[in-house]
Amino acid sequence: MSEGGETPAILAEGVCKRYRSLTAVDHLDLNVRRGEVFCLFGPNGSGKTTFLRMLTGYISPSAGQITVAGHDVVRDGLAARCKIGYVPETAPLYGHMRVDEFLRFMARLRGVASTAVEAAVERVVGLLALGEVVRKPVRVLSRGYRQRTALAQALVHEPEIVVLDEPTNGLDPRQIVEMRGLIRSLAGRHTILMSSHILSEIEKTADRAGLLLDGKLLGVRAIAEVADLESWFLSVT
Amino acid sequence: MRPLVILFRKELHATFTSPIAYTMATVFLLVLGYTFSLTLFATKVANLNYIFHQVYVLSILLVPVLTMRAFAEERRTDTLELLLTAPVREIWIVLAKFLAALSLMILMFLGSLAYAVVLGLYGEPDWGPIYSGYLAVLLNASLLLALGLLMSSLTENQVVAAALSLGTFLMLWFADSVAYLLPQPFELFAVNLSLIGHFKPLASGEVFLSDIGYFTTVTLLALFLTTRRLMER
Repeated sequence: MSEGGETPAILAEGVCKRYRSLTAVDHLDLNVRRGEVFCLFGPNGSGKTTFLRMLTGYISPSAGQITVAGHDVVRDGLAARCKIGYVPETAPLYGHMRVDEFLRFMARLRGVASTAVEAAVERVVGLLALGEVVRKPVRVLSRGYRQRTALAQALVHEPEIVVLDEPTNGLDPRQIVEMRGLIRSLAGRHTILMSSHILSEIEKTADRAGLLLDGKLLGVRAIAEVADLESWFLSVT
Repeated sequence: MRPLVILFRKELHATFTSPIAYTMATVFLLVLGYTFSLTLFATKVANLNYIFHQVYVLSILLVPVLTMRAFAEERRTDTLELLLTAPVREIWIVLAKFLAALSLMILMFLGSLAYAVVLGLYGEPDWGPIYSGYLAVLLNASLLLALGLLMSSLTENQVVAAALSLGTFLMLWFADSVAYLLPQPFELFAVNLSLIGHFKPLASGEVFLSDIGYFTTVTLLALFLTTRRLMER
């Protein structure tokens, strides 16, 4: 339970991930509140992606426990994954499908009822302004549209929690502003957990941020209470 | 079962929008047609025994091409991360790929039914060996596809996956050739591991449960190991 008695959207306790001699994530404790935008930040190789992959069930923790909307991601993996929409760092898509086919496929795969698939796809196509490219094959999309399509598949089943790994990676400045607006617009209805290493983006997007270094969570701060994220980052690294 | 149907449809779509399927089917049917014509005119015997052995060899050569992409490509493009973080069981992902690839093989085998029809129209074939021959090529294709998927799940490099598959198939094919060099009980094991040793009787009309059991067991074992491989997180 969080401070207010409300079940946290994401709760990680003592989470570790070890690869032989390398410890990618080291006894990480994290509590993400419902409806907030939480950003994990840190330099490349600090364990952000590894933690997100454990959270989404792609890899298993070596130790510790992660619960998503009350479901343990290892013991109750299927139920936990139903609650999550995930955009990996590379925004992987099936190039041979059209955008609408891909979204229909992901909607069905994520458990949207057959009768509700078309409405779900229409909703995310509208939300992410994909109308222009909806009949185009995924392989011809620009980087910006690929990122939006990837986000659309993560939202198509209206998950409680949206996990975004470096969502502005590779986008041009205009696309970054649009993506930031999109993420902010999702807050409240969804809990957003994202990773980034661009401090200015985090300040403009997140409600709270956690600094990760060498797999250890060094601290969590509310963005509104941190005068300068860069100074905090430099003071602890 | 719904995830299996969804994934199966996606795999079928991927298979039949790829030139690999059409190229494979064309090569397969052209070579079979050539063999059929040649053996029919040379032997004047109304059976498909040569055809079934040709299918056996072609399957060993073509299945690695068909399965090499299955998981290797999903790993390389990171789409496997999408599948494995969706609320679906790993077994459905494996079965969908297996059934889609098997569907293509069955379609190719159906194309070869034309030769059986020709024999039926112009000769008096013994239908028993033809039925059991089709059972043999189907079981053989299942086994090869399952092993090919297993090899593809081990790497993200398609060429490595194809090479591993082909190497495994050839080792199984010739497993009994080295048997006489081995002490008991390894000799018996090598003889019983031989692919051709179990294929030949079935393709010739001798149906033994042990042969059917061999193909089924290896197929299920390979599918199980592929699923376990995907579950290794």
